[in-house]
Amino acid sequence: MKRDIELFSTWKLDEALELLEDGNSHVIAGGTDIIPGIHINSNRFRDFNKLVDISRIKELKRISEEKDKIIIGAATTFSEIESDEILQRHLPLLVKAVSKIGSRQIRNRATIGGNFINNAPCADSVPPLLVYNAGIKINSIHHERMINLEDFLISPYRTSLTNEEIVTEIVIHKPRESLNDVFYKLGRRRGVAISRITLAILFEIKNNKFTDFKIASGAVTPIGKRFYEIENYADGKKIDRDLLIDISIRCGKAVLESTGLRWSSEYKLPVLQRLIYSLLEDNCLRR
Amino acid sequence: MIRRINLTINGDKVGIDVQPSMRLLDVLREILNLTGTKEGCSIGECGACTVVINGNAVNSCLIVIGQCEGSEITTIEGLEKNGELNKLQKSFMEKGAVQCGFCTPGMIMSAYALLLKNPNPTEVEIQEAIAGNLCRCTGYKQIIEAIKSP
Repeated sequence: MKRDIELFSTWKLDEALELLEDGNSHVIAGGTDIIPGIHINSNRFRDFNKLVDISRIKELKRISEEKDKIIIGAATTFSEIESDEILQRHLPLLVKAVSKIGSRQIRNRATIGGNFINNAPCADSVPPLLVYNAGIKINSIHHERMINLEDFLISPYRTSLTNEEIVTEIVIHKPRESLNDVFYKLGRRRGVAISRITLAILFEIKNNKFTDFKIASGAVTPIGKRFYEIENYADGKKIDRDLLIDISIRCGKAVLESTGLRWSSEYKLPVLQRLIYSLLEDNCLRR
Repeated sequence: MIRRINLTINGDKVGIDVQPSMRLLDVLREILNLTGTKEGCSIGECGACTVVINGNAVNSCLIVIGQCEGSEITTIEGLEKNGELNKLQKSFMEKGAVQCGFCTPGMIMSAYALLLKNPNPTEVEIQEAIAGNLCRCTGYKQIIEAIKSP
């Protein structure tokens, strides 16, 4: 790296937390954002000269299934998530999303915690984690706290994490197996592509009505975002073409409210609405 | 602060006295003189710097040497054994999968990592494995053919 930076590696969480106690260090796990960021002298990575490497702390790489929840260590790589049978069975939407991130080389290093702590608008793991109502566990040498991911993410590239803290776990209550899922990603190409649109949808259909409809977006909104009003509107309604058109129009308007009007909105809004309609039609009508 | 980092490179155990925050790519090229690994984009998009760490393809521009302590690293130089090229290298030559050659080391290391886990990959699996490796002159058809039949 071009800047003189001290790197401390540890295999123990307690030791990492102690190293962070002075508040002057930055955590590194996969490093796929931080290392090139420092290399190109990005202003996002100029305010520290000490890195604490947590990429090999075993307790941060554990995936476990409990009676009613799934726990994913925050330093679990995307490749580890892709190939994990517990996650394939219980959180297929997350597996689909992370398998589209970057390239094999990047997925072998990049971690799920790093993805949402970086909190780029295009962080592909965020929309699925939001529709799964993910919670996260955060530790420092002095305390432990649980917070909903949605409350943790503040604004682009900002979260409520302090310099002394490490996100240790992602906790998700097991979704019912009857839930259907849709993940959509649009980039300028298929591989190593930064998302232009990300959509994560979960739904259940009973008697041709939506029950438990959930939708979140990424890239088209400043950060990953759930659309609760639309979810409440859809639930309990009979599924037909008119309802899907209605949901798509409302989603587009909600995105526009979130981003504000831009010079490109005139083109992008109908494209987004048409895209959401096509996804819903393919997955909810033609079943 | 210089520290001793112990690792295995191309089968040899080595201890390197180095700044732990140095990128693996720079350690390979500037300290170990393993210049087969190329630097392209420096931000993880082109795959020219791909090496294999503990059996997995990794961009060596996106990992620092301090994170490699105790790892087994294979670079393009490690594929040749007793003066004989690896069958993947031979296949690249036979299928005309090398034009300017700049992407070739990274491309071969991505393919090598794939074949370690999956000796008979489908074309889609090959495409997936080299999706992070850009080639701007040879064309991917010959490269995929070479990986299919080493």
